[in-house]
Amino acid sequence: MIEELRNKVKELFASKRVDVVLGYQRAVDGVSAKPLFIYNQEDAERLVWDSYCVYNLACYLKELAGKKVGIIAKACDVKSIAVLLQENQWKSQDLFVIEVEEVKPSAPADKYESVRKLEAKSASERLKFWEEEFSRCIRCYACRQVCPMCYCPRCVADQSMPAWFSRANSLKGNLSWNVTRAMHLAGRCIDCGECERACPVGIPLRDLNKKIEKDVKELFNYEAGSSVEQKPLLSCFDKNDPTDFIK
Amino acid sequence: MTKEGWEPNIIGFLCNWCSYAGADLAGTSRMEYPPNIKIIRVPCSGRVNPLFVLKCLMNGADGVLISGCHIGDCHYSEGNFHARRRFAVLKRFLEYLGLDPRRFQMSWVSASEGDKWSKLIKELVEEIKTAGPNEVTGDD
Repeated sequence: MIEELRNKVKELFASKRVDVVLGYQRAVDGVSAKPLFIYNQEDAERLVWDSYCVYNLACYLKELAGKKVGIIAKACDVKSIAVLLQENQWKSQDLFVIEVEEVKPSAPADKYESVRKLEAKSASERLKFWEEEFSRCIRCYACRQVCPMCYCPRCVADQSMPAWFSRANSLKGNLSWNVTRAMHLAGRCIDCGECERACPVGIPLRDLNKKIEKDVKELFNYEAGSSVEQKPLLSCFDKNDPTDFIK
Repeated sequence: MTKEGWEPNIIGFLCNWCSYAGADLAGTSRMEYPPNIKIIRVPCSGRVNPLFVLKCLMNGADGVLISGCHIGDCHYSEGNFHARRRFAVLKRFLEYLGLDPRRFQMSWVSASEGDKWSKLIKELVEEIKTAGPNEVTGDD
């Protein structure tokens, strides 16, 4: 399996179709995996593939604009790439996707279980819950940095004129930041879970993203990353979109 | 903030072509409505960014209203279609976070609907009064 993968990468270099290939290599601890940038055929020998390869490699594409890139992609990465292509962030002829099967524990029966549980609570309980969660936020923006969809050259959180929300580590600023991040991913988040994995204080960020994912499915029958041809959710509309909330 | 003598502070984002003219008509027709709404004129309801709403709610506004042309009447053909989609998502999301859904509202008001505008604001102010002061806003 791994030899097959290495050969595919070598083949890409032999035919001079790529400048760099993104994959995984063994980390220094000898167990976990870390991203690997392969620049030639010899580098391909360091390639590994197992259940420790968790990172969404599509995230690195934003730093490789203008290059011809090969990428070893599991299901999440493939979906991320679909969104990036859909949003004209990449040219499909500059990208060589090597799809790999994920070694993953079985998916939960109801993906939205945690969201439904929260929805069932009262408004004040929900607010209390999120205030507690966001009060831990240290505004490190790791959630943004690992997100393949957060590719703005200048993030709204870094702007000072106008400063859209407080940059201080306050509840108000934290709430604004987390709401804004989730809203910017509406119809774009493919739920790879990198934000939650990277969060150093363990905020359940996926429960924010999944809520929007669920709503978008209900309201517009839209699923992010399911096809390259579909238009981005908030760049298009339907004349029969729900209108019941408007007076 | 004490509840006694408290008056809601509402921010309205009104599209230049319909709702702003509608509110203007209400004024020139001498229709009465409560003065609790502060109007910000925008080119189109499609111009309104969810960040505007968030910033208002985080900085002391008790309610936010977005108003634009009726569907099909947009000066830019499709601005209000985009607004509708965007704010359908935001509305549900704010509710999920535990913010009172009454604090964020949307309405279509045309340039000839001065009466609808005055009625809308009367109802909106009443609704926000029952919701009470916005307490999510703390120190910076």
